[in-house]
Order: sequence, then C-alpha cells, then structure tokens
Amino acid sequence: MASDPMADQHDTHGNYLPDFCSGQMVLTIVLVAEFVALVLALSQYSTPQEFWLVLARASLFLLWIGLGSAALLCAARNALNGRSTTAASALAGGLLVGNTAIISLAALALAKYFFGDAQNALLQPQHAGIFLLRNVTICAIVSALLLRYFYVTHQWRRNVELQALSRISALQARIRPHFLFNSLNTIASLTRDKPSLAEQAVEDLADLFRSSLADASIKIHLKEELEMTRMYQRIEELRLGERLHVVWDVDDLPMRALVPGLCIQPLLENAIYHGIENLPGGGTITITGRDYGNGFDIDIRNPLPPRPPTPTRSGNQIALKNIRQRLALAYDRPAKINAGPEGDEYRVTLWIPKVESA
Amino acid sequence: MKLLIVDDEQPARVRMQRLLGDIGNHTVVAEADHGEAALDAVQTHAPDVVLMDIRMPGMGGLEAARHLAQLDQPPAVIFTTAYNEYALEAFDAQAVGYLVKPVRLEKLARALEHAERLSTAQLDAVRDADETPTARTHFSARMGDRLRMIPVEQALYLQADQKYVAVGLPDEEVLIDDSLKSIEAEFGSDVFFRIHRNALVAVAHLRGVEKRRDGTIGALVHGSDKSLDVSRRHAAELRRFIRGG
Repeated sequence: MASDPMADQHDTHGNYLPDFCSGQMVLTIVLVAEFVALVLALSQYSTPQEFWLVLARASLFLLWIGLGSAALLCAARNALNGRSTTAASALAGGLLVGNTAIISLAALALAKYFFGDAQNALLQPQHAGIFLLRNVTICAIVSALLLRYFYVTHQWRRNVELQALSRISALQARIRPHFLFNSLNTIASLTRDKPSLAEQAVEDLADLFRSSLADASIKIHLKEELEMTRMYQRIEELRLGERLHVVWDVDDLPMRALVPGLCIQPLLENAIYHGIENLPGGGTITITGRDYGNGFDIDIRNPLPPRPPTPTRSGNQIALKNIRQRLALAYDRPAKINAGPEGDEYRVTLWIPKVESA
Repeated sequence: MKLLIVDDEQPARVRMQRLLGDIGNHTVVAEADHGEAALDAVQTHAPDVVLMDIRMPGMGGLEAARHLAQLDQPPAVIFTTAYNEYALEAFDAQAVGYLVKPVRLEKLARALEHAERLSTAQLDAVRDADETPTARTHFSARMGDRLRMIPVEQALYLQADQKYVAVGLPDEEVLIDDSLKSIEAEFGSDVFFRIHRNALVAVAHLRGVEKRRDGTIGALVHGSDKSLDVSRRHAAELRRFIRGG
C-alpha cells in the first residue's frame, strides 16, 4: 500500500477506509468471516462431522478477528483521519496484524486452559509458534489485499466525483446571468443610436456563449481563450464606458499552449464585477503573462474598491474554486492559482504547466 | 410627472430616457450615476418618481431609497435591475416596485401609473430578505426638509437618548432615526462595539480605556475629548476585545 504510485498524485487526506463504525459494515464483516470459514471447512473436511467441527471452530476464530479488527479501525478513526495515505495504510495494517496476533495468542491460551497440552493435536506446543506465524502471515496478506481494494475503490469513487464536479463547475463557469441581462440592455440601448456597435456586441455575445456551451473537457488554444476574454472586455466597455480600462501585456505567452476553456475570462469578469463596477471613477485592470519554458503564468490585477464597513461578499471565491478544480483535472502536473489583496489591488495569479498541441 | 433616472451605466440611462420619451407626458428633471448623487438630485429637483438601479458603485439603490424614505415628501421609487436581486421578490405582491432590464415599454408605463412611495418597513423587509445584506455607507439625519448624510466611517460613537440616537462626530452630535440594536445588527461588533446599554463605540476610532477616579471605566476615542461611560457588564468584554484585536 505504502508504495502505491497513485498515492502521491492528488490525495492529501489519508482516510480512504470505509466507516467501520457503521452497522452495515459490521454485518458485512460477519458475513465475510462466515464465508471464509465455510471455504476453510469445505477445503478441510473428510467426514460430515468434521465439516461442522471445522466450520464452528473457524467461524468462532474468524469472527473474533473480524469484529476485533472492525472495532479497532472504528476506534482509530480519528487517528487515521488527516494522515497521509501511506501513514494511514501502515497504521491500519499494523492494527490488523497486531489484532490477529493477540487473538491467536488468546486462542492458544484458551485451548491450553480447556484441553491441556497433550489433548489437541492442532495446538501442540511445537505447533503454537507455527499457528501464530501462519495466522499473522495470512492476516498480513489479506489486510494488504483489503486495504488495496479499499484504496482503489476510494480512488475510483473520488475520480467519478471529481469528474462530476468538474462538469458542474464547467456549467457554473458559464457566464453570469447578470452579465447577460446587462449586455442585452446595453444592446437594446445601442440599437437605435449606434446600430453597428450593437451588431458587433451581438456577434461578440454570440461567440462568448458558443464557447461557454462547448464541451468543457476539450482544451483550447490559449490564443482562443485570450480572444474570448477580449470579446468579453469589448462588451463590458460598451456598458461601462470610460470607467473600464484594461492593459494587456501577454505577447510573451505561448499562444499554442492548451488550456481548459473559460479559465481566464471569468477572472476578468471577477475583476470587473468586484473591482471596477464598485468604483465610481472606474479603474485599470492589468493582465500580464510570462512564459517560463515548462509553464507560464498569467497575472490579473484590479484596483480594490474602498472597503465597505462590513465585508460580506464572497462570490469571488466561487469562480476561483471552480477554475482551480478544472485546472487540477486538466493537467498531470499541478497548476496553481493564487489570489488575494496586495496593497490597494486585488491580484490573481494563474500558473499553468505547458502542454502544446502538435 | 417629474422623473429622476439613477443608473451608473450610461447606455442604460440613454435607453431609459428614450423609453420615457416614447411614453410621453413625463419630464426627466435629472440623471444621477450613484446613490449619493441621487439624494442630492432629489433634494434639488423634487421629482415625483425615481427610477433607481440597484447595483451602483459607492451607495447603491437600496440604501439611497432607505434614506429617501426619511424625507417628509419622499418621491416614489421604482427599482430597475438586471438580475439576481432576489431581495426584490419582497415587492412581488404589487409587482410595480421594480422592473427588470432590458425594461419593456408597457411595463415601464404601467409602473409609472402605479408608482407609490415605499415605506421604511418595506425597505427594511427587502434588506432582511437579501442573502448578503450590505451595511449602508451613510447615516442620514433629517434637517428640516433636507437630509444630512454622515459617512459611517466618520462616526466616533453612537449614543442612545430616549427617542433618538446621537452620532458622535469630532465637534458635534447629530440625531438619527435608528435604534442602537438595529445598528449593532447591521454592522456587527467589528465596526461598532457595545460599551453600554445606551452606547456603541466605533472600533476604528477607539483609542483606549481609562480608569476614572471614581472607579468607573471610560472609553476614549480619537478625535474627541469625550470619555464614554463603559458599563461594568461590558468593561471585561471591551478589554478582551482590545487585547484580541
């Protein structure tokens, strides 16, 4: 378990184990123990009488081990949570093997108490060591297999969840309704006085929506994403007029790099919605991009509005979280996104590993 | 009727002007691009109806409407909004209090016919229904038939009398119509901290605590010589707050 290569990739929380405290899990363990006992009995008996004897003995022993293990893992839940996958696996494995050793020793002691040394062929003193070693080895193998099984199931479920999440995120990333209605209002206003501007705005809006409806799992060229962002800017400029200035410094960027769609436009949208729109005189947003060879970063800064007496808004975080999730799924190497106030500006920095199309 | 258009977006104002032109019978006496400008314009031009955008930089439409409601002869207010202002569902019963953008000519005409004054209670209900209520930027005091606006960050302390609350400023005190309780709820203790049954102090201006000769405690604020009474009950909390912050 400890050397599982997948462990290093995304997983930061170690507890992939199911909840052993639940009644359902306890029932499962009882059933599994009985099945194993049945298999043992079937493989060993020669007379019907012996079958029942072996089954009874194996059941008793395995139930003790199974339920004891469940109780231990249940009790150790807090200790397992929050550890790395490796540490949690080692701890859980250790607990299971230790539990088996103790119960084996207890069984030996009980047999000695009830039957004396000579009575039971299976538990003769010279066999005691072998009995213990055999149980511990079987337990180690079965624990390893089980932990591996839990881990893989957990990873699989996590992946399914992440994919579903990213699909939802992609949906949420689609442009704010607020923006749509404001833009339509602007277009309605322009249609009579400045029909050609209105026409251009409709075209830009159409392209923006087309791209936001595209399959979010397909990556696009950085150039396309930047064009989309500029279209968005053009529409907002019509609405906000002199209040909005955007300075672009992105010539350095690798335009053929592949990025998930809508990874930059929402950041400009945020900068406008939380920054410029709240400033009576407007302000300047700066977008800077630098290429570092194996990856590139994009930096978006906007002036902060004077802080309201009670800071209650947190909508900003949703878009950031959303982009973070989609970046995490889009690349093998980690992409990064940092955001926070810096002086009188708010700054978001994206770091994206470079994947170029052929 | 005399109308005032309040919107921070120029194209939106242009379109509203044109719609009103198409309806006829109305005069737009002024335009404003944020809440404070709207308050000034209302007092200068005394419009009958204000068409008010909600999301504007600085003072928004909801706050401006709350201040307007304090006037003796407040104008009727019709909110205009693009989307998302769920709080406005509080008005849905009448369906004349607000219009969604892009505004339709017939709806605008109908809203103007039915335009009514909004009561403070209605506006408070809207604020309470808002999921992320933003505290106001100004206190407003009625001075005859005019409003005096006091930026919230200028208030040093708030002291309750029998009927009014006095806002403490460096050289004077101004009476406003709110209760300490509502102010406490609106801004939270990070902005105004309770030091007495009848007083809140502005955290940003708090200078320290003094022990007076008679054993009572006083709170000192920057910009004023006044020592504010701190009740025994709140003294410990205030000390803890000062140490913690």
